[in-house]
Amino acid sequence: MTFDWSVVWQHRDALVAGTATTIFLTVATMAIAVPCGIVVAVLRLYGPAPVRGLATAYVELFRNLPLILVVFWAFYVVPILTGLGGLSPLATGLAALALNVTAYNAETFRAGINSIRRGQVEAAMALGMSRVQALRRVIVPQAVRRITPVLASTWVSLFKDTSLVSVIAVSELAYAAMQVRAQTFRVLEMLTAMAAIYWLLGYPQAKLVDWIQRKYAVTE
Amino acid sequence: MTDVQTSPMRAMASAPRILRYQAVVKRFGAFTALSGVDLDVHAGEVVCLIGPSGSGKSTLLRCTNGLETIDGGDIEFEGAVLPRDEPSLRAVRRRMGMVFQSFELFPHFTARQNVAEGPRTVLGLGAAESDARADALLAKVGLADKAPNYPAALSGGQQQRVAIARALAMNPDVMLFDEPTSALDPETIGEVLNVMKVLAEEGMTMVVVTHEMTFARRVGDWIAVFDAGRIVEQGPPQQIFDAPTTERTRDFLSHLGWTG
Repeated sequence: MTFDWSVVWQHRDALVAGTATTIFLTVATMAIAVPCGIVVAVLRLYGPAPVRGLATAYVELFRNLPLILVVFWAFYVVPILTGLGGLSPLATGLAALALNVTAYNAETFRAGINSIRRGQVEAAMALGMSRVQALRRVIVPQAVRRITPVLASTWVSLFKDTSLVSVIAVSELAYAAMQVRAQTFRVLEMLTAMAAIYWLLGYPQAKLVDWIQRKYAVTE
Repeated sequence: MTDVQTSPMRAMASAPRILRYQAVVKRFGAFTALSGVDLDVHAGEVVCLIGPSGSGKSTLLRCTNGLETIDGGDIEFEGAVLPRDEPSLRAVRRRMGMVFQSFELFPHFTARQNVAEGPRTVLGLGAAESDARADALLAKVGLADKAPNYPAALSGGQQQRVAIARALAMNPDVMLFDEPTSALDPETIGEVLNVMKVLAEEGMTMVVVTHEMTFARRVGDWIAVFDAGRIVEQGPPQQIFDAPTTERTRDFLSHLGWTG
């Protein structure tokens, strides 16, 4: 069996473009899912009963559905239900990823907020802060620092899971590599190249987050 | 009943009343933490609440600024009944400083940021003004050089002094101390008590839950002895420590090995 690694270099433009889309999807999903996760967590913890129920239902729904199903569902079912057909595959994929990761982040933030001892809220309240001020100034900043390692794992998982939106023809890295494979029949080379790119990009991200965590960790 | 237990020897009885507790009741489920507490705190007084653990001292303090809601009776602060709704309660809390047994400094803020946080976020002062106030108060508690340090880099005694400065930064009318030295190493208790003593000498109104009998005796103007959710005796320190009128006070003090 002969290997032809030149195929990887020949299709570098497609792979670079796919990688750029993968990175965009990861960053954009997190940019949506971190603030939304905080909001859902706070609603689930402190909202009025019906809102708490809704937030809980949302989290339990999306946390317990396979992501690939959510992607298909967003692509095929949502346009039928809503009559909105105008969303691009990229926007649809981003929405599906954001819905899924927001649910995970909400749980992570909820655990983080719950881990801050009651005395901290009381100290903030004793100063005359409102609940919202106590959350914003005292609780959430500490919770975010505590859960940074978990968010980092979510980030690295998400980076890889963006490949699932290839099923609705979003031309991110996995889709681009599979397209090249289909054209060239170079299965082993393209899958190896794809693995190498994911790993080489994912590993430094994980290390970077570890470093941020060490730098900004709060000792108590 | 209160009249019988209350000694007439109250130096500051003519000063305006800052706090008045009347028949205060607090329950936690089936447990009654406070069953009818009557107590007055006058301006400039240091009132020490002593008694065995679980007797209701801390609960009374936490009811004072509404961290706990009372189930009966009334608490008056500067002549007005303590409100129940959060916005009014916040306005009251701004005028009461509270110091906790476990310090509860904000670990993600430096000492300076901890002290500046109340003026900044609650009073809406500018950064420069809040920081200047923080630095002045840190100097007052002897920690000017620790302003840029995070709480984790401070000893327990230093953390508690920062916590006192944080409470003072709101310019409170009364300071509430909830066992401020109970979590400290014996070596650092003194530095915290000294800061409190200076505050008392400056005329700060203070309510102090404490197991430090020497402090209560020397600095306290009025002592209330708690047992099982009620005040069994209150009076000036000379009465409580030298000539207690109830068996329960004598028992409690002899348990602590108090010899006068």
